[in-house]
Amino acid sequence: MKRALPVLVLSAAALVPLWRYEPSTGTASGGTAEAAPTGTPSAAASPGAAGSTVVTGSTVPTEKGDVQVQVTFEGDRITAVTMLRAPDHPQTANAVPKLVAETLRAQSAAIDTVSGATVTSDGYKESLQAALDARGL
Amino acid sequence: MGFPVSLRIDDPDVPDGPADAVFAWLREVDRRFSPFREDSEVSRYGRGELPAGALSADLAHVLALSEELRRATGGAFDVRLPGRGLDPCAVVKGWSVQRAADLLTGAGLRRFCLNAGGDVAVAGGPWRVGVRHPGHADRLCAVLEVSHGGVATSARYERGDHILDGRTGLPATGLDSLTVVAPTLTEADAVATAAFALGEEGVAWAAAREGCEVFAVLPGGRVLHTPGVPVAA
Repeated sequence: MKRALPVLVLSAAALVPLWRYEPSTGTASGGTAEAAPTGTPSAAASPGAAGSTVVTGSTVPTEKGDVQVQVTFEGDRITAVTMLRAPDHPQTANAVPKLVAETLRAQSAAIDTVSGATVTSDGYKESLQAALDARGL
Repeated sequence: MGFPVSLRIDDPDVPDGPADAVFAWLREVDRRFSPFREDSEVSRYGRGELPAGALSADLAHVLALSEELRRATGGAFDVRLPGRGLDPCAVVKGWSVQRAADLLTGAGLRRFCLNAGGDVAVAGGPWRVGVRHPGHADRLCAVLEVSHGGVATSARYERGDHILDGRTGLPATGLDSLTVVAPTLTEADAVATAAFALGEEGVAWAAAREGCEVFAVLPGGRVLHTPGVPVAA
């Protein structure tokens, strides 16, 4: 369901089709979906082999804003295209993954485990996970 | 690496062997891959004492994955930062805990939840995985329902910044927290760390990775997530 940008371009002229690009795969987003913010890249990453080459295009000013694209080649084959810089324009933003925006909420709920940034052994004692583990013993 | 490991197995019959194997494996990983141990393979390779051809297949795999992420993030994610030794912890952790989960699956266990220092690998769910609120250690900012796969979070908490942006060498401060749900914890943890290093642009970057669902908290209390992230009802 993820999309790769079907653009293989490094020049401003060739970038024009990008603004006409509409993702062909629909997402399951509801009415709250909104475009990703300026400067977000879309990466079509694939496992890189030792022989891959990354080419970064120069920053190209356009009437819609600055554009910069990075392309990864495996031999002659393009394996990844990344927008390093994209103008804040609705049609361009459509080319990057849909993201839903919400407001941060704090909640307490019944859970089995907690995902968080690495908890050290010192910090564990006061962690939610420690409480869950204690309950299970 | 000094993190607590919690393993819950809900199969009807639970032999001791597989759980012991999990902990033995994680201790082995620490011996072999910790950059904080002078005699580990990682430390010796980092100091140039091991030729590339002499690397174990495991470390070669970890370094290949690290290199893929370095390229894919334009250098924001980098296990070799200037002035620092080789430190592939960000990739080793998810990979090794996924391998531990594979040990359990390989032993025939079907329903378990393995949490290693905040990285989660589950099978046979649904499991309710809380995501720690970046501002409150005792609260959650989301509850995800995951049946099989990995959940990893990179974040800045009160103890400070610890993920560096390889492009600048400075702490990554563009995000408060970023969680990735992926088919494997190897992918989830590596992508979460790499995306966090990228900063705000990392949210869309991670969302574009095949099989990855993303839940990110931006400074100021704004949340961005993929439509498919499995938020529990």
